[in-house]
Amino acid sequence: MTVWIVILAAAAGSYLFRLSMIVLADRYTLPPALERATGFVAPAAFAALAAAGIATACVGVGATQAAAPLAALAVAVIAVLRTGSGYAAILAGMPVLWIATALLPS
Amino acid sequence: MSTLVTDRHDLAAGARAMAPWLFGIVPFGLVIGLSAARADIPTLAGWLTGPLILAGSAQIAMIEMLDAGATPVVVVVAALVINLRLIFYSATMARYWRGTPWWWRLVAAYLIIDPSFAVGMDGYGRPVDRRRGHAYYLGGAALMWVAWVAAISLGATLGAGLPAWLHLEFVIPLFLLGEAVTKLRDPALRRAIFAAAAVAVLALAAPLHLGIVLAIVAGIAAGLTAQPRPRPSRQLAEVAP
Repeated sequence: MTVWIVILAAAAGSYLFRLSMIVLADRYTLPPALERATGFVAPAAFAALAAAGIATACVGVGATQAAAPLAALAVAVIAVLRTGSGYAAILAGMPVLWIATALLPS
Repeated sequence: MSTLVTDRHDLAAGARAMAPWLFGIVPFGLVIGLSAARADIPTLAGWLTGPLILAGSAQIAMIEMLDAGATPVVVVVAALVINLRLIFYSATMARYWRGTPWWWRLVAAYLIIDPSFAVGMDGYGRPVDRRRGHAYYLGGAALMWVAWVAAISLGATLGAGLPAWLHLEFVIPLFLLGEAVTKLRDPALRRAIFAAAAVAVLALAAPLHLGIVLAIVAGIAAGLTAQPRPRPSRQLAEVAP
């Protein structure tokens, strides 16, 4: 039940953002600093979620179990740096995760 | 009659301008569909974020946080912080939509997101009358919407049938990591990314999963400490909804 309410609340808020200045543009202007700040939100959120997701997979498990996601992480970073494409992280990281999980003792 | 023909022509021109964006929209939609199928929430709820929120970064953050069991308020706040940029897109579109009927503003506003904004600005920048710009925006935005929802549906359908040993729960962290790494070249973004990642790991044990929101705020603050670089025009945050 809560999941549906969360999604509806975020949807309503997002729609209000989209409509906000179309309704209010004549009365308000937006501060430039806020505009600059919004440029950092998505990269910061992506980095935070990625770091938390990978750290969660590695915390509280044995060293051998943490090795597979860490190997995938390392290969993914190298692949992205070499190709310049974000999707290279999935294409290179997932096979490494499968191979490392199969080879390493659990 | 001639107006209808012009409209159809401009709708098609807008859709054509959206076509290159599909290379970003379709894979991102597939990843979101997969994550919706794998997450510990009803798949329909994850899928519904597509048509209801129509903003990939916020959708993926919400699905990840709901899956991790974050507190509802924290999930909504994170999604809305990520979507703050929509206010600026709204402000830019407002000047083109002044004096248009309410029904148009309600529909057109719903479709505002990075790719439709970019295509729309392209249309309104052409030296033709504004009405044709509206058709151009609508043509691009409609194609984007259909592709987005279709890609999420396909991802959700595929994700539900794939075996557990594929560890698809790792697709999203890798995708997010990849997106972050591509932005490391910009010094200000680099600061934001490292600060956010560091705070997210340090605050892993923070109550209510507040660590993610704290990390986003730390990332924004760190980014703002960098010297602003002059930019020729508004930069889009995303290449997909």
